[in-house]
Formats: sequence, structure tokens, C-alpha cells
Amino acid sequence: MTYHWEEEKLGAAYDAAIMRRLLTYVKPYTKLFILCFGLIVVITLCELTLPYLTKIAIDQYIRPGQLGGLYLLAAIFVGILVIRLIASFAQVYLLQLSGQKIMRDMRTQIFDHLMRLPTKFFDKNPVGRLVTRATNDVAAINEMYASVLVYLFKDVFLVLGIFIIMLQLNWQLGLLILVLAPIIAYATWEFRKRARDAYRDFRRKLAKLNAYMQESLSGMRIIQLFAQEERSYKTFQSINQEEYEANMRQLMVFAIYQPIIHMMSAIAVALIIWYGGGGVIQGFFTLGSLVAFLNYVEMLFAPIRDLAEKYNILQGAMASAERIFMLLDEKPEDRGKGRILPSVQGRIEFRDVWFAYEDEDWVLRGVSFTVEPGERVAIVGPTGSGKTTIISLLTRLYDIQKGQILLDGVDIRELDVQFLRSQMAVVLQDVFLFSGDVLGNITLQSDKIARERAIEAARFVQASSFIEQLPNGYDAEVKERGATLSVGQRQLLAFARAVAFDPKILILDEATANIDSQTESLIQESLRKILRGRTSITIAHRLSTIRESDKIIVLHKGVVVEQGTHEELLARKGLYHALYTLQFAETEAVKAE
Amino acid sequence: MRGILHYLWLYRARIFLGLVALFIVDGAQLVVPLIIRAAIDELAQTGTAQLVLYAGYILGIAAVVAVFRFFWRYFIFGTSRMIRRDLRDRLYAHLVKLSPNFFANTKTGDLMAHATNDVEAVQFACGLGVLALADAIIMVSFSLAAMLSINWQLVLYAFTPLPLVTVFVVVVGRMIHRRFMAVQEAFSLLTEKVREAISGVRVIKSFAQEMGFSKDFGRTNEFFIEKNLSLVRVQGFFEPMIALLAGLSSAIVLLVGGQKVISGAISLGDFVAFTSYLGMLTWPMMALGFVINLMQRGAASMERIEKILRTEPEITDAPDAQPFPQEASLECRRLTFSYPQTNGRPVLRDVSFSLEEGQKLGIVGLTGSGKSTLVHLLLRVFDPPEETLFIGGVDVRKIRLSELRRAIALVPQDPFLFSTTIRENIAFGRPTASEEEIIEAARIAGIYDEILEFPNGLDTVVGERGVSLSGGQKQRVAMARALLLNPKILIFDDALSAVDAEKEEEILRNLREFMKLKTAIVIAHRISAVKDSDLILVFDQGRIVERGRHDELLALDGIYARLYELQQAEEAVKL
Repeated sequence: MTYHWEEEKLGAAYDAAIMRRLLTYVKPYTKLFILCFGLIVVITLCELTLPYLTKIAIDQYIRPGQLGGLYLLAAIFVGILVIRLIASFAQVYLLQLSGQKIMRDMRTQIFDHLMRLPTKFFDKNPVGRLVTRATNDVAAINEMYASVLVYLFKDVFLVLGIFIIMLQLNWQLGLLILVLAPIIAYATWEFRKRARDAYRDFRRKLAKLNAYMQESLSGMRIIQLFAQEERSYKTFQSINQEEYEANMRQLMVFAIYQPIIHMMSAIAVALIIWYGGGGVIQGFFTLGSLVAFLNYVEMLFAPIRDLAEKYNILQGAMASAERIFMLLDEKPEDRGKGRILPSVQGRIEFRDVWFAYEDEDWVLRGVSFTVEPGERVAIVGPTGSGKTTIISLLTRLYDIQKGQILLDGVDIRELDVQFLRSQMAVVLQDVFLFSGDVLGNITLQSDKIARERAIEAARFVQASSFIEQLPNGYDAEVKERGATLSVGQRQLLAFARAVAFDPKILILDEATANIDSQTESLIQESLRKILRGRTSITIAHRLSTIRESDKIIVLHKGVVVEQGTHEELLARKGLYHALYTLQFAETEAVKAE
Repeated sequence: MRGILHYLWLYRARIFLGLVALFIVDGAQLVVPLIIRAAIDELAQTGTAQLVLYAGYILGIAAVVAVFRFFWRYFIFGTSRMIRRDLRDRLYAHLVKLSPNFFANTKTGDLMAHATNDVEAVQFACGLGVLALADAIIMVSFSLAAMLSINWQLVLYAFTPLPLVTVFVVVVGRMIHRRFMAVQEAFSLLTEKVREAISGVRVIKSFAQEMGFSKDFGRTNEFFIEKNLSLVRVQGFFEPMIALLAGLSSAIVLLVGGQKVISGAISLGDFVAFTSYLGMLTWPMMALGFVINLMQRGAASMERIEKILRTEPEITDAPDAQPFPQEASLECRRLTFSYPQTNGRPVLRDVSFSLEEGQKLGIVGLTGSGKSTLVHLLLRVFDPPEETLFIGGVDVRKIRLSELRRAIALVPQDPFLFSTTIRENIAFGRPTASEEEIIEAARIAGIYDEILEFPNGLDTVVGERGVSLSGGQKQRVAMARALLLNPKILIFDDALSAVDAEKEEEILRNLREFMKLKTAIVIAHRISAVKDSDLILVFDQGRIVERGRHDELLALDGIYARLYELQQAEEAVKL
């Protein structure tokens, strides 16, 4: 089921440009589709023949009283049924097969494209909406391929075939029935317009209702804190009522249209009885033909009744296609100039870097510092001083506005972005774990990291002790976001991940959350091991980490305020001194607990 | 199933009318073959017929059918839409009463799915399901009766494939159901993979593992196709097979019926009518599986909705709930509290203090030290243990919720604004407030000047579809919202964190006058905001570690003093 509780931009149900683009997905499977069409022709022919056989049965065997030929006819009847069965099955299967493959191609394209979009895009678009694109919207398009396009062709073919046969049996009666066509066409045209308007109105009201509900649920705390439950409910009730009324109006359109079409078919039947019966009386029309006509007319009106349904599906599919194409047209992130360095020392330099996420809301102002290969650098500072941003900039998740960031003297924008990222490993405060198993979270499914290496990495960072205690050890299941693991365990896993990738430069954002003392000591030890002999930049909170760094950079409001070793900075009695003594006092208070 | 029947019973009058209309429509449709039979027989036997009369009958019946078709659509489908509306209303009315604990443990996405997918499934079961079931029953019984009245032996012959059909429907139906479930699961898996990849895209990029994830997604994609095709293999076979078996019936009727016409046992008209009635049976047969499926899904969805409706709200009025006390003094007596579902790790430990009416309380401490929790307990977002938290001497738990929340206004840490006008956001707690009061509240909160600069002033729409406010602006609108309530107790939970020092001073100045007679609690990171409090509490890990007035605390030379020093040092850094 698809839910679009965003406002929908419903254009014409058939937008030529969108249709053309959708058809490009069909191209690789043209042969399958042609086969489908061929089978449909066969099926339709079968369906057209059956009433004709009945006519022959009545005229040539039953009326004259000849039993013998009847057996042959019945046999042919069954034969045609079997052919129809096989052809139907084959056609449905082929259609679904091609439909599934088209969907798969679309989903793959969307997914691959998503993986290449810049981080800024993900900041602006809620996850739920993007997931809908790749799943529900694609399914809506499949509905169109599977239920509408091909069957539309079948219906047209069928209707044409029926008219041809009717005209051939008796052109006058056939023409009479044909006269009904413009009336039906007009009724259908009027219906289409009203149906589309009613549909749009309904979808708009539904989107409004869902948006209101979603917001109320998100803001339920405020609603309850300000004692506005009653009012919120009343508002919901009225929007709900509006949606109901729009829904009913849509129902009315169908409720009036369907009986009208039915009347048309009844008029056709009446005409056949009157004219055809007259023809039998006067002798130029056989009873068999009369019966055949009645059967064919029944077959004629079924597709017309279905038209309404198909129209809805088409509209829905077009809207989905529009949204998907908007996504696919988003520009992917800049991959840099593609340069690769033959060997990497690991020297990082920030040269007068200015950065803002939005406009001129500067988060970093003229930040300059250097990290020599093998140096352990700690960045400290109050919240919001821009420390985490530095990490995102190093891996080019965002691009800076002014200044330069250099790796071994080369501007990182010159380098191939994947090459750049493979030189660094990032361990964030909030460790993101994927559902799957522990091993997969260490290797991130890279085929370059063998199982043994991952296990070695885990051992190195002291994560092996808790992993081996899990049921299935390294193959233990990790649930959504790793909910069953503690904060400390997740940190250790993240360390293992970083070590397994064996980067030249390690970037760490130390967690501030409370970790139980046992894991805390494991982490401290493990940190010492990973940082030894590696270039590293750590956003530090632990006193031990700060003290053992080769260089400390103090950041405040996006500016580098002080730089130096621990002793040098303490002596200055500036911001660092104040920060350090506060932290020290707090740690002592905790120890005294 | 019971839930659905309950709703159907509620609207029994309308549904009954709909069923009557359906009955008439089906009945009328079943008469048509009889008319055709009469016409054909007359033609066959007498060579002439009152054709105009017959044609007239058919048109007349068609008109009746048209009218009553409209009615069953209106009554049956219309009622299912009413049920959909009512179910949603009920769901919302109930959700609004549930406690924050429920919302913390339930994903909004899941709740939305209940309100949309599940409600729709119930609607389909009550509308399409009821219709298809009734239609099938009526058609089958009428057609059967008509066919039997023509020639019962022919009926037996026609029904020889029937046992095959039944077996086929049951066996294949079960197979289809299983494979269908497999497809649903595969779809969930696919959706989750996409969701995760998007949520963790920064990690994937940072480690340059886009390709690996694409490959993994490709595998899930293929798996999904497989499951679908496995379903199609059976489902695609199902309908044509039923059509074949039905066709076999027709073939048998052609043969045996034809024989009987030749031998004179039945007339040609009988034969034609019989085949018509047989044709009317195919749709109910095929629809059987579909209808059962629909009803099952509707029942399952109804169950999920009822589960929510059965959830009791945790925070309610006590049976002897009292109005808000006259005196807005606060007292906390040895309060220890841990959130439910957190293995009993206390967030507040042995907290005690008292505050007189009109006094100001300041609270400072590290993140996670329990400061916000205290405030939430005061507002009964979670219930404190009995006899621990008192207002005006009355246990907070005994005060009527609606009065409690009107008398205490909170400016939360993370201000949530609704996608509506600024005016409506400010007046949220008191929609009947006058224009002057709203402007005054905005002025004190230090946001009025900026509002004037917006394109539509107070009528500017904010949020997703409107203007995007900065963090500081949102906080100040939230503040105006709280001020407008003119509450007895005002609470600021880190309410000025996104506002710069200058603005903060201006607002604090404005507030001084406004808050003269009110009890206030200010939670802050910046000492400048709590400096003038009558009592300051320093929290650490849920305990009060230092308490007193500003100068007393400085003299203690503990955490508070160090914090103050740090903040002075930060201020000293001139940009």
C-alpha cells in the first residue's frame, strides 16, 4: 500500500515526457514485452472464438438436431480453453517477470544514486521520504506496467475484435451497437474529468490529515504539557470529516458512472433482442447469431467498466514517477579531481579554513593548524565550538568555503574522494551499527578485509572478550542500530572497525556518555594501543587522552584560541587551564562517589 | 474479527439497506436471462415474438438495477468509509490521552502505519469484503435455484468439475497465502536495507564502502524478485485454471445441454438461460480466495488497532484529584526516581529542597545529571514516587492534571513549534488570548522586533511549509508561548542556550518585572542565567552536590566555582 502524506503535485494523468522516460526502462526487455503482446493476441483470439463456437453449435447442430457434430465442437471448445490456459499463464508470468526486472533496475539505480549524493542532501531530506521513493513509489510504477499498460492493449484489441466479428455477422446490427459508442465516449470523458478532480481533492485532504496526525504525534508532549488535548482532537475531527466528505464525493462519481455504463449495456441488449429478434422472424438472422451477439456485448462492456480503476492506477504511477525522477536528477557529490598519491605520509594541514553549514553562519573561522605524521593531536573546547565539524571536513563530507585543507601538501579537493577517505578511519561518538552480524559491522562488508584480519583487529582493541561471549560470537546477530549492545561495547566495535581498515590517519570523537567502569578501562587501554605510532586527531574529553597527546588545540566558537602541549597550555592560565581544572574537579567528584 | 463485526453491527441499518439494494440488483440481473429465454423460445417455436415488449422489460429492469446499484454502493461502500472515519477518530482521541512513556517506546512511523494501512484494511474488509461476500452468496444461491428449476440433471453434469475446483482453491489458496507472506517479509527486508543505508550514509561514505553496500542491496533485490516470481508462478496459474475448470463446465453443458435440446427435454431458451446462469457463477468462485484474504487482513489490522485502544494511559487524575493549590511553593522530599524500563538506574537520587512562592530556583550541572527530569516530574510527564514532590503542600500526584498544566508553563530545551502561524504558536496554550497579550508576551521574550520583520508579521507561517526559524528564534517563540499562559510557576529548561549573551541579558531584564510574583525554576548551563536566584542547586549524577546563593557557592570553591571560572574565561575570549 502506498502512503504519500506529503502534498502531492498531481499533474495530468499522462505526461508525455514522464511516459517516455518510463519507457526507457522497458527497452532492455522489449523482447519479453513483444512476446507478451503476442500471447495476449492469442488469448484474445481464444476469447473471441468461444461465443462464435456457441453460435455454430446452435445454428448447425442443435437446431437441426444433429448430435454428432456436437461432440467435435465440444472437443474444439475444450481445446481452445486449454490453449487459453497455457497462454494466460505464460503471459502473466512473462509480464510479471519483466515487471519485476524493471522494478529491480529502478531500485538499483535509485539506491546507487542515493549512495553518491552529497551529505547536505541527507541533512535536508527525511529518511522516510527517501525510503518511500525506493520502495513504494517503484511499486506504484510496477502496478502500472503490470495492471494497466498491457491490459489496456488487450482491451483495445478485444473491443476491436468484437466489433469486427459483430459487423461480419450482421453489419446493420453491428452498426446500431456502434452508435452507442459516442454516447459511451462522452460519458467516459465527463467521468474522467470529475474522477480526476475528485481524486485530487481526496488525496490532498488525505495528505493534510496525515500531516496533521504526524505532527501531533511528534509534538504530543507539547500538546499535553499545555493541556490542549481536547482542542487538538477537535481539529483532527474536522480534518477527518473533510477527508471523509472528499472520499464520499469520489465514491459518488463512481456510483453514478457505473450504473450509466450499465444502462448502456442494457440498451445494447435491448437493441439486439429487438432488431436481432426481428431479423430471425424475417429470416435474415439466425438464432445462433443472436445468442452470439448477446455474448459478445457482455464481453464488450467489461473492459469499459474497468477503465475507471485503470485510470486511478495510472495517475498514481505518474505521480510516483515524477518524484523518482526528481530524485534521480539530484546532482551527486563532487568526487574531486581524481588524483591519487603513490604513498601517503599522513601530514594534515588546515590553512585559514572558514566553514558554514548555511549561508554565512560561520562554524569555523580562520582555523589553522598542522598535524605531522605520527603526531597525536587532541582538540578540546566547549560544546558548539566546531570540533565535530572538523571531522566532517577532513573526509570531505562537506566542502569548505574559504581556505584549504591539505594532505601531504595536496589540497584534498584535488584528490579522488574515495582515495582520500580510505586513508582515514573515523570513530564517532554515536557509533552507527548496521543490522547483520558483528563481523559485518567490523568489515562493513568490504571484500578487502578477510575474516581473520577482522578478528585480529577485534583482539587488538580488546573487543574480542565481549564478542566471544555473545551467542555465535563474531556471527552474532546485531539488531537494528545495535540496540542490544552497551555504549562501551559499541565504542570497542567501532575501534575494531577502524583498526581493521588500517588507515594512515585515525580520527576519533570521544564519547561523553557514561560508560561502565569495566568497559571504560578497556577502552582507555585500547585507545593507547591504537593511537601508538599512528597519526591521529582526537576530539578529546578524557583527561588521560588529553594529557598524553603531542599537541593540544583549543577551539572556541570556531576559532583556534590556544595551541601547544599540556604543560605549555596549563602554564598560560587561559581557557585551557580553566577547562582542565573544571574537568579535574568533576572527575574527582565522580571518584568520590 | 469481533472488532469488525462490532462496527458492522453499529451501522446495521445502513448495511441492511445496502444489502437489500444488492439483493434487488442481483435478483433483477438474474431475471434477465429468463426474459431472454422467453424471447428465444418464442422465436424458436412460433417464429415471431413480442420483441418490443421484451426489449422494454430489459430496459425497465436495467433502470431498476442502475438505481439500486447506486444505492448499494452508497450504503455499503459509504458505510465502510464512515467506519474508516470513526476508527481514526477513536484512535486519535485515545492516543491524545496516552503518556509520554508510550510515545517514547513506540515509533511514530508505526503509529502512522496503524492509522493509515490498518484503518484502510478494515475499511476494505467492511466495504469490499462485505459486498463481495454478500454478492457471492446471493448470486450462487439464486443462480443455483434457477438452474435447478430448469433441469436438475444438467446441473449435476455442469458441476462435475466442482469438487476439483474446491480442492484446487483450498490447496492452492494455502500455497498462495504462504508465498504472499514471504513476499511481504521480503519487502520489509528491502525497505529496512534502504532505510539503514540512508541513515548510516555518513559512515558508508567515510569508509568509502558504497560499492559493498550496493552489492548487498543487489542481493536483497534479487531475493525479493525471487519471492515475487515464486508467488506469480502459483497465482498466475490460479485464475486461468479456475477459468479452465469453469470452461469445462460450459463445454459439458454445451454437449449435454445440446443433447437435451435436441431430444426435447429442455427448450433452446432454457439452454441459453442455463449457460447465462452458469457464467454468473464464475466470478463468485474466483472471488472466494480474494474475499477470505480481505477479511483476514481486515481482522488482523483491527486487532492491531484494538491493541492500542486497549492501552491504558499511565498518567491520569487521581479519584480524589484536587484543584491547583493557592500557594505556589515547592517542596521536594528525598526524591529518588528512575525511568521505567531502565533497569532501575536512578536518574535522581535523594533530592530534597524547598522553595517559597515567588522565589527563584536555579539549577546547574552537567548534561545528564537529571535536571530536566526534575522538571518533568513536576509536570507529571512521568509520575514521581508518592509523597516526594509537593506544590503548596499538596502532593503533585493529587492535583488535577489539566489545572496543573495550566498553572505551570515550561519552556523546553528543544522547542517544538507547529507548522502554523507564529500567532497560533504563541497562543497555543491560551487560544482566547487578546492581540495585546500576544504582542506583550513576544516583546518580553525578545522576539517581537524580529517578528515585525517577517513578511506577514504574526501571521507568518513557520515550519516545513513556511519560514525556517533559527534555534534561538524558536526558543524565544516557545518562551512567549509559555509567558502567555500567565502561569503561577514558570520553568526555563536551558531556554536561552541558543541565544547570545547580549540578547540573553535583555530577555532576563524583561523577565524580572514579569516574574516578580511568580515562582520560577531556571535550568541553565550558563551561570549568568541563574546568578540572581534565591537558591541555586548544583546537580551531578542525579544528586545535589552543592547548594546556596551565588556568593555562597563561589566561596565553596567547588564545581560551581570552577564552572564559573571557565565561563569567565570563555567570555574573555574576544572575537
